[in-house]
Amino acid sequence: MGKNPLHTKLCDLLGIDFPIIAFTHCKDVVAAVVNAGGFAVLGEAMHTPDGIAADIKWIRSRVGDKPFGIDLVLPASAPDASTLEQLLAKIPDEHKRYAAYIKEKYDVPDPKGQQALHQWGGLTHEIARKQLDVILDERVPVFVSGLGSPAFMLKAAHERGMKVFGLIGKARQAKREIEAGVDVIIAQGYDAAGHTGPIGTFSIVPEVVAIAGDTPVVAAGGVTTGRHLAASICLGAAGVWTGTLWLASRESDNDMIIKEKLIAATADDTVYSKSVSGFAMRVLKCPWTEEWAKPEAPRVLSSPYQMLLASDYIQAANDHRRADLMFEAAGQGVSFIDSMKPAKQIVNDMVEEALSVFEEITGEAADA
Amino acid sequence: MANDSLPSTMATVPGFDPARAGKSAECDGGGAIVGTRYAGREEFAGTLTGEYVDHGDPPWRWYLLKDLVRRPEGYPGDAVWCLAENLFVAGEPV
Ligand SMILES: Cc1cc2nc3c(=O)[nH]c(=O)nc-3n(C[C@H](O)[C@H](O)[C@H](O)COP(=O)(O)O)c2cc1C
Repeated sequence: MGKNPLHTKLCDLLGIDFPIIAFTHCKDVVAAVVNAGGFAVLGEAMHTPDGIAADIKWIRSRVGDKPFGIDLVLPASAPDASTLEQLLAKIPDEHKRYAAYIKEKYDVPDPKGQQALHQWGGLTHEIARKQLDVILDERVPVFVSGLGSPAFMLKAAHERGMKVFGLIGKARQAKREIEAGVDVIIAQGYDAAGHTGPIGTFSIVPEVVAIAGDTPVVAAGGVTTGRHLAASICLGAAGVWTGTLWLASRESDNDMIIKEKLIAATADDTVYSKSVSGFAMRVLKCPWTEEWAKPEAPRVLSSPYQMLLASDYIQAANDHRRADLMFEAAGQGVSFIDSMKPAKQIVNDMVEEALSVFEEITGEAADA
Repeated sequence: MANDSLPSTMATVPGFDPARAGKSAECDGGGAIVGTRYAGREEFAGTLTGEYVDHGDPPWRWYLLKDLVRRPEGYPGDAVWCLAENLFVAGEPV
């Protein structure tokens, strides 16, 4: 076969060995993946500017000069800035009664402390700007915007020698961001964990590739095996962006209960539900999502009301480590998460499997 | 009803774009979900008032979309601020 199909323009752009990007909330996973020859991005949307600065320092101390990234969920729309009391007062009684019914039916305890959600205040533009300032000041090698277009800060980032990636769920958003000059576009399909759009990975990736020109496109949503990596390359992607894959890794700081649930889960155990937050997102099924999917359930509220309604359940489930109630965002590729492997082994297994798939197809071994 | 100001105390510079006032637009919106490590997408369609604000430096531009004809079910207001680059205005190239 000659040329190594896994050596893509993403590898050249980032100076990495393998076109595998890990999205994670765990610094140890970032360090392990980067040191294994892949690339990793730490999700910091809910961290304070000081916390972000400390994490950047920590990662640098573990990976040296190797590049890594930080992801923020830049907002793309902003509703009013109501107080928590105003918001709570607007939740209809019918919905409060239904939440109480779930609490009783599943014997959901009271949360132990004050709910994180009740420290309301919204992720204001001001906080997002301050988070961004730290990332620019620190000249983090790669900044990723997980939602709103990063176009407004591209010049500032490029002047500092940084690269900027945009994660999109629709081709028209990809076109906008590519024209604005993002360095990499991540096309996220419906199979994905969390805030996926409605278009399947198999459709969105080639659609974005067709309009991307020289900008590398990275495939996201359901990617958990080497076969997925090989398929993504065949679709025209220059690499893969993966989230679920790392949730049960040895280094991940996720609760062991969640890791075990992920290992046991199949694609059918995930659900694209608005019941957790009012936003459609893919998560592991749990009593809360299942009850709100029933025909007798009231219609799910919009964000942030549904989130406020769900917050007692979520907090109690985690505080009391109730395996029957706990859940996590997870993509449909969860079927292939079957053990608690170290991140380095995950990278190596994925690369090996992808290369053997290419060999199977071409009948020739690749020059690794 | 949404506030007619962005939730920020940082320097914002208001402006008005007469060419966009009254135009239909769609917004591929959303944001982080406070108190969690998740995010969510939301779609809106409505009419631009022409009002915008530039937030901070480098300026981050937000347009006011009113008279919403499409919004997430149960969305309480009739207006939303949309990030300029996530806004698709009728008659303008994508
Ligand atoms: C627990 C969890 C939380 C997530 N939170 C974010 C986030 O804060 N920002 C973001 O850009 N993407 C977030 N995502 C989505 C990932 O960026 C990615 O698109 C997704 O995991 C890809 O699909 P996969 O899980 O099937 O690999 C999250 C994913 C998971 C699993």
